[in-house]
Amino acid sequence: MEALELYTTGVKDDVWTEELKLNLGPQHPSTHGVLRVELKMDGEIITAARSDIGYLHRCAEKIGENVSYLQFTPYTDRMDYLAACNNELAWSLAVEKLVGVEAPERAQWLRVIVCELNRIASHLIAFGTYGIDMGANTPFFYAFREREAVMALLERPAGSRMLYNYVRPGGVAHDIDAEWLPDVLRFCDEFERRWAEYNQLLSTNRIFIARTANVGVLPREMALAWGCTGPVLRGSGVRWDLRRDVPYLWPYAELEFDVPVGEGTHGTLGDCWDRYWVRMREMIESIRIIRQACARVPSGDFMDKNMARAYKTPLKPAKGEAYMRCENPRGELGFYLVSEGGASPIRCRARGPSFCNLSVLESLLPGCMIADGVAIIGSLDIVLGEVDR
Amino acid sequence: MEALTRFFGETLDVHGAAALSLAYATCIGSLLGFITVYAMFAIWMERKVAAHMQVRFGPMETGGWHGWAQSVADAVKLLFKEDLIPAQANKVLFWIAPAVVFCGVFAGFVAIPFAVGVQIADVDLGLFFILAVASVEVVGVIMAGWASNSKYALFGAVREAAQVVSYEVPAAAALLAPILVVGSFRLGDFNAWQEQHGWLVLHNPFLPVAALIYFIASLAGCKRAPFDLPEAESELVSGFHTEYSGMRFSFFFLEEYASMFVSSLLVATLFFGGWTLPFVDVSAAPVPLGIVVLLAKTFVFIFVQMWLRWTLPRLRVDQMMAMGYKYLLPWAFVCVIGTAVFEALGWGWLPLQGA
Repeated sequence: MEALELYTTGVKDDVWTEELKLNLGPQHPSTHGVLRVELKMDGEIITAARSDIGYLHRCAEKIGENVSYLQFTPYTDRMDYLAACNNELAWSLAVEKLVGVEAPERAQWLRVIVCELNRIASHLIAFGTYGIDMGANTPFFYAFREREAVMALLERPAGSRMLYNYVRPGGVAHDIDAEWLPDVLRFCDEFERRWAEYNQLLSTNRIFIARTANVGVLPREMALAWGCTGPVLRGSGVRWDLRRDVPYLWPYAELEFDVPVGEGTHGTLGDCWDRYWVRMREMIESIRIIRQACARVPSGDFMDKNMARAYKTPLKPAKGEAYMRCENPRGELGFYLVSEGGASPIRCRARGPSFCNLSVLESLLPGCMIADGVAIIGSLDIVLGEVDR
Repeated sequence: MEALTRFFGETLDVHGAAALSLAYATCIGSLLGFITVYAMFAIWMERKVAAHMQVRFGPMETGGWHGWAQSVADAVKLLFKEDLIPAQANKVLFWIAPAVVFCGVFAGFVAIPFAVGVQIADVDLGLFFILAVASVEVVGVIMAGWASNSKYALFGAVREAAQVVSYEVPAAAALLAPILVVGSFRLGDFNAWQEQHGWLVLHNPFLPVAALIYFIASLAGCKRAPFDLPEAESELVSGFHTEYSGMRFSFFFLEEYASMFVSSLLVATLFFGGWTLPFVDVSAAPVPLGIVVLLAKTFVFIFVQMWLRWTLPRLRVDQMMAMGYKYLLPWAFVCVIGTAVFEALGWGWLPLQGA
C-alpha cells in the first residue's frame, strides 16, 4: 500500500490513464505451476486480482470413488507431488480409521521419519523457488543438492524418488535396510551445516529482506478467517500445528519439538519474510524430530497383519465415515471418506492446504507492485497439483 | 585512424577517400570481430562462473575442453533459427530495435583506447561520448518493448527507461570526480595521468566511493542483477525481449555483454590505472602489454558483475529508484565536491599529506 500512495500522490486528474489487464500465467515462470492470475494493473501497481485455477484438474476425488481403498494411495501422491509421503499418510490414516486398525509401532516411527524427511524436501523446494522468484538463482541449486540427498534416502525403502507410494493403509510398504537409520542421521548433521549456509546466502540478505519484509501482510485474524493452515497460518503468529495439537501419529506426542511462528522480525507480523522464516525453521525442527525418532524405531512388523491380508482380497470396510487430517508441509490435508460397505468409498473428499491458502491471494495482491505479487505467490508456497486435484 | 589511413596509403598505394574507407572497414570489421569473440568468451565464462557457484560444472561437452565451444554452438543455433515476428507486432520497429540497441554500445567501442595509440578515434570528449552513445541503447529497448505488442515487453521497456534515467545521472556525476583530478575527458589522458601519479582510486578518499558508485550504477546500466528489472525473469518472463528469438534476440544478448565490457573497462581505465601497473614498467612493449593489462583488469570487473548476479536477489522497482536517487546521487555529488576541495587545496589522502 505504501508503494501505491507513493505513486498516486501528485498525479493530476487530467492525466488520462487506462487500466491494464495482465494475465500472469498459466505459463509464467513464477506461478509455481499452472496458476493463472488475472491482474488489473495501474502501472506497476496491482489494483485487482482474480486467480483462475483448474488447469491441472484430474478428477482425483472422483477417481477415489471408483478405485479400491488401497489403489488410491498412489493417486494421493500426485496431489501435492512435493510431499507425497505426507499425502499418503493422511489417506492411510483415514482408511485405517474407517477399517478400525492401527499401524504397528515400527511403522508409526518409520512414518514419522519419512514424513519429516519429505517435509524437509518440500520446504527446500519452497526455499529454492522463492529465491528464484526474488531473482536469486543460486539458492535453488543448493536446495536441490540437499533435496537430492533426501530423495536418495527415501528411494532406498520406497523404490521411487518423488512419488513414493510408501506409506500405505496398515503401515509402510517395505522395511528399511540396516544402514538406513545411520545414513539418515548423517544427513541430519550435514543438513544443519547447509542450513546455516542458506541463511548466509539468502535469509539475511539485505535485498531479500527488503523485498519480503512488510510485503503481503496477512494479519492473524484474516489468516484464521480464510482457513489458512501450515506455515502461512503460523507465519501470521498463530501457534497451531496438528503434530503438536492433535497428534495424528502417536509418536509425535512423545517427541520434543517447537512450533515456529512468525514474529514480525523485520517488519509487520505475517509478512512474506515471516512465512519464509517459519519454513526455514521448520526444517530444523524436522531434523530434531528425525534425530529423536531414529533413536526410537523399535523392531517388529512394519505392516498390520490383517491389512496385509486385505491387500490380496478387496478391502470392504463396514458402513461408516471417517475424516483424518495431517499436518502437510503446506498445512492441513484432510481426507473424508464415506463407505457403504463396497470396495470403494461412495464419497471421497480431500481438504487441501494449498487450495485454502491460495484463496487469500486475491485479497493480498491489490495495492502491491507486480514484483511483490510474485513474492506473495511464492510465500504462499502452493502446489497446483493439490489446488486443482 | 590516421595511422591506419597512412598505412594503407603507403602499402597499397591508395589515397584519399579510398584509403579512408578501407581504414574504416578494417576498424569496424576488427571491432565487430572483437566484440563477437569477446561476447562468446564472456557468455561461456558467465556459465562457468554461475555453474561453479551453484555446485555444477556448466557446459563440459561441446568442443572438448570444458565445453569451450558451447557459445559458438549457441551462436550458430541462433543464426539458423526461424526469424519470427509476432503477427501483431509493429514490424519496422521490431526489426530496427536490436540494431539500435547494438549500435549504441558498438559506437562506444570506437572511442576506447586499448593501449597507447590503439584507438579508432581519439575523441577529445571520449568519456562523454561513450556515456552519451550508451544511452542510445534505451531507445532501442523501448522500441523493442513497444513494437513487440506484448504487455510483459512493454513493462520491461518502461522499467528500462525509468532505470536508465535514474542511473545515468549518478554514474555521470560519479565520473566527474576523476575528471576533476585529471582535467580532461580524453580517455588516453587518464592513462597518462595515472602512469605518472598512481591509480586514481587511491588518489583521495572520495575517489574509491566514486568508483563504487559508478560501478553500481553501471550494473543498472547493463541491466545486470540486482538491477535486472527490465528482464526480471520471474516477474516479466523475459521483459523487453520476451517476443524476440533467433538472431534478433542474440543482438540483445550481445549488447548486454558488450556494455558490461565497456563499463568494466571504464572502471579499469578511470580508477584502476588503465593499462599501467604499479611497480611494473609496461613501457617496454606498451601496446601488447598494455592491452593484456587492461583486458585483465576489465575481466576482473566483469567477473565481479557475474559474481554479484549469481549471489544477489533483485531489487523492486521503487527500491531501485530509491537507491539511485536517494543514495547514489547525493553521494556522487559529495564525491565531486570533496574531490574539488581536495584538488583546490592540493591535498591527497590525508589533508596534511599533500598530493
